[in-house]
Amino acid sequence: MSFFALYLLLLKATLSSFSGLAALPILRDDLVVQRHLLTDRQLNTALAIGRVTPGPKGLYIISVGYYAAGFRGASAAWLALVSPALLVIPLLEFAGRKANDARVKRVLQAVVLGSAGISLSATLPLGADALHNALSYGLAGGSMLLLVFTEVETIAVIAAATAVNLIVSLVASGLVRPA
Amino acid sequence: MSITGQAATKPAPGLTQLAGVFFRIGNFTFGGGAATTAALQRELVHKRRWLDEGAFALSYALARVTPGTNLLAFCTAAGWLLQGWRGALLTLLVASIPACALVWLVTAGFDTWSSNRWVQTGIEGALASSVGILLASFWLLVRPYLTARKWKRSAVIVSASIGLSLYFDLAPIPVLAIAAVMGLLWKETEHL
Repeated sequence: MSFFALYLLLLKATLSSFSGLAALPILRDDLVVQRHLLTDRQLNTALAIGRVTPGPKGLYIISVGYYAAGFRGASAAWLALVSPALLVIPLLEFAGRKANDARVKRVLQAVVLGSAGISLSATLPLGADALHNALSYGLAGGSMLLLVFTEVETIAVIAAATAVNLIVSLVASGLVRPA
Repeated sequence: MSITGQAATKPAPGLTQLAGVFFRIGNFTFGGGAATTAALQRELVHKRRWLDEGAFALSYALARVTPGTNLLAFCTAAGWLLQGWRGALLTLLVASIPACALVWLVTAGFDTWSSNRWVQTGIEGALASSVGILLASFWLLVRPYLTARKWKRSAVIVSASIGLSLYFDLAPIPVLAIAAVMGLLWKETEHL
């Protein structure tokens, strides 16, 4: 399959979704069921990779592209990922002119609040998966408090949580003894 | 950047500063797009004051209704507000290329690294932290709308969104559409 044809297939999936994994059914139908460019196992692996790497979960499409056509496929997937983002500019041009309109302000505030609710709903399954002992609860709670009440860099908070988890595991496994 | 006449913001950053922030936050925050957007909100609105709450709300709300990956649309919108076309393209590229390259590398070596116990342990720590980032994000998003006059309206919209998402399994766009209609009809905030 040509680079452009693969780009169009992946673009169809990214354009028809509005959140992380919503493009999955389209990708599976196009690439697994109809064209046999990748397997269900590879699709699942791509999802797992998107889950454990930094950035949006939608980046799993890079893995999908890679499994479908190597580096060329990953490049087509990147292009399909970034193309829809540019659509926000005409929206901003239009809405920005009306940003001081009271009705537009109310709608924007409501969308932000609605998004906050959706994000909190999405946090629950992530929490159920990621928090399974006292240490993980402590890391989550500590991260939240640091981010709300201090100016510490987010990346430093994540790095510290990663390091603490590694150190505690090393100590627990007996490879490192506390002083 | 203030488009709604809210609290004063600092002058727009140069392209290098802009690239630095979006590179760091966009490529190294675990927990998905919501956690990354939260980290960007904290950096752009609260720490550096490049965007006010109104400009952030505009970018965030429009990014949520743009097809594709919301985070990349948000980065593009914030870059466009701060530095026009150059800013939009820059933030889109620096927030996407390194993270995508990492996904590509991880995919290529998946069988090797996925069985490494210490890699898994490190990721578990980062994921636990990302739950905290998401909770902090929720609070930072909602807090500006919990003023004496707005809190009832805000609480109802947030609660409705949580209920519709969790208990009715409604997709994000219909939930946001319902929230938008509630915001349009509930005029309590007109004097705020």
